[in-house]
Amino acid sequence: MINSSFQDVDVNPDAAARNLMQKAHNQDGLPEIAIGVCLLATAGLLWAEVVLPPGSFARKVSSLAFAFGLPTLILGSQWAIKRLRRRYLMERVGYVELKPVNRKRSAVILSFAFAVGAAVAFAAWKGAVPPASWFVAGIGIFGGALAGIAGKLPRFYIGGGIMAVAGIVLGLSRFSLDTGQVILYGIMGLLSLVSGFVVLLLFIRKRDEVGE
Amino acid sequence: MSSAKIQRLAQVDRVIHEPARLMIVALLAAVAEADFQYLHQTTGLTKGNLSVHLSKLEEAGYVEIVKGFKGKYTLTICRLTEEGKRVLEAYRKVIKGAL
Repeated sequence: MINSSFQDVDVNPDAAARNLMQKAHNQDGLPEIAIGVCLLATAGLLWAEVVLPPGSFARKVSSLAFAFGLPTLILGSQWAIKRLRRRYLMERVGYVELKPVNRKRSAVILSFAFAVGAAVAFAAWKGAVPPASWFVAGIGIFGGALAGIAGKLPRFYIGGGIMAVAGIVLGLSRFSLDTGQVILYGIMGLLSLVSGFVVLLLFIRKRDEVGE
Repeated sequence: MSSAKIQRLAQVDRVIHEPARLMIVALLAAVAEADFQYLHQTTGLTKGNLSVHLSKLEEAGYVEIVKGFKGKYTLTICRLTEEGKRVLEAYRKVIKGAL
């Protein structure tokens, strides 16, 4: 505990606030558990696409789950985290109501994602798609960088590094794009899940020890 | 740098210039509202310190404090007032202009 001073001195008050809030957001491990579940579900459904015969009932179900179930799971996990925190952790971590989503910022992000998607689609149409191995390595490096930037904690930097290395290793190996993605998402999902549960247990134990 | 910009540093609002209060105000500026426990957990300030600083910010009219409930849980909800937002923005401009 500190007295009347910053834990992390930062010249910019906005950056200091963002860093503090990011640490508070990740202190109970719930976001990591949710990410782990989503990544494992993605890996599982991708694997189903690989092994199930095309046109079979099971394949149709897995395709539908991929198209509709996965987005629902990703969005629902945010809602579940909020509910869990309010139900069980509010007395420990306190209550916070975030500002409404910045529509201008969301529109910029969506436009960027759309532009990237359109560029990839155009490249695929022209037959200029790079080898599958590039995609797996790219997903690993991009995902790893995103984890480090978004998490801003040592465990996220380590996880991001592992994801980048795993992506490169899988990219260099002779796996197909789907199999490479299944392995990559599976590794990251398991890592995230285990890390989240460890953080949650430590968080609960720590709070119980100080009697808060 | 012009001497006017440097001299403006001497006129920054002393209520929010104090690091702990600046941390509280910056945090509240980033959210719609937060309760005492969240601020305590996030800032790492002791409860006594946080209470004193919040009182000073409330006296200055920069923070609004409301007692409420969320189910059975008692909440001391804090949010930045319009005056608080204005002062933080002015503070940010002065610091940014001078450093």
